[in-house]
Amino acid sequence: VRFVDEFRDAELGRAVAGQILSLVEPGRHYKFMEVCGGHTHSIYKYGIDDLLPANVELVHGPGCPVCVIPMGRVDDGISIAHQDGVIFTCFGDMMRVPGSEGSLVDAKAAGADIRMVYSPLDALRIAKQNPDHEVVFFAIGFETTAPSTALTLKRARTEGLRNFSVMCSHVTIVPPLRALLESPDLRLDGFIGPGHVSTVVGARPFEFIPADYGRPLVIAGFEPLDILQAIEMILRQLDSGRCQVENQYKRVVPYEGNLRALEVMAEVFTLRPHFEWRGLGFISHSGLKLSDAYADLDAEVRFSIPGVRVADPKACQCGEVLKGVIKPWECKVFGTACTPERPIGTCMVSSEGACAAYYNFGRFAREREVV
Amino acid sequence: MTVLRVDEGRELALCAADDGRHETVEIALVAPVRPTERLLVHAGTAIAHQGGVL
Repeated sequence: VRFVDEFRDAELGRAVAGQILSLVEPGRHYKFMEVCGGHTHSIYKYGIDDLLPANVELVHGPGCPVCVIPMGRVDDGISIAHQDGVIFTCFGDMMRVPGSEGSLVDAKAAGADIRMVYSPLDALRIAKQNPDHEVVFFAIGFETTAPSTALTLKRARTEGLRNFSVMCSHVTIVPPLRALLESPDLRLDGFIGPGHVSTVVGARPFEFIPADYGRPLVIAGFEPLDILQAIEMILRQLDSGRCQVENQYKRVVPYEGNLRALEVMAEVFTLRPHFEWRGLGFISHSGLKLSDAYADLDAEVRFSIPGVRVADPKACQCGEVLKGVIKPWECKVFGTACTPERPIGTCMVSSEGACAAYYNFGRFAREREVV
Repeated sequence: MTVLRVDEGRELALCAADDGRHETVEIALVAPVRPTERLLVHAGTAIAHQGGVL
């Protein structure tokens, strides 16, 4: 297929679903985790799970950048935003993530100069336009957005901007996957690998999953046929006794990733000893901070921040959702106290969050129907 | 996004999204690029070529 419409063709989708049905063993329950929030969104947008046999369960992983940001980190951002002379910038989704005493939107309403940007380059532009202000960019996301932040910092350095800094909350995808595989809560049979992260890191970083844990992983694109084909490829591996990393998304993902992106990230960032993830706790070497060479552009060095760990609200079960232990509709506050308009947990904020995907596409409190 | 125009000196490209919106995109990580090429863009930076799917 060559045109994007063909990747959404219902007949082709049903044909792949038929192949999936022919590969499943009756009586065996299969649990596959889609790592990336973009996949979760596509699965519910297109009703992909309705095409799967009842014994194939999709579990939603920790690959939504906004969902994994802990409350304490939001509080740190708000603390910087309230300081005199600061223009605080962040992506739109991040504005609504609740901290312990409100979100960045609430802080903006209270008078802080907080601006939504589409890219760190927009924040850099704001810094050039406001030389008498300190402009801070709240950088979040996995290896898909980290190169953009890295390039922006290099530009800031080249252009000699002194009023720009980054509060770096970038995370990496491999450590949480290892943490999930070590978790006794979860038994998974395979992974749908993240498509866009893999354009940067390539397929090699996932080889430990089949090698050390005996689980197949198939990197997949985001169209309905991509996801269905990835599921079929995982099942085919299980059926034939194979276990390896395969790349369904070859039209975009090179096996070795984007070497230039990896190079610029290695120059600008360094791994933190540990970083807190919402719901998953502290995970070693899973977060990025600015390297010593860029420390003068590090907002955490330039500003005083509380840096306090804040527990999630008791009613919120984002942690269990992010670990795939419960489905969103099993959370006590899903769709009642917690909605996309008034989110309590991060998974309800971003369109890539599992709770928002369930809510927006009508998956309220119901089991899947048997095909 | 589809590349409309390239500024090689500044490593930027003017690109069009599928909804018609235009955006300036950093292309340092995927250069060289040419008009009509499709790019995968995250946070204003192109991170991959789209492999010809239209």
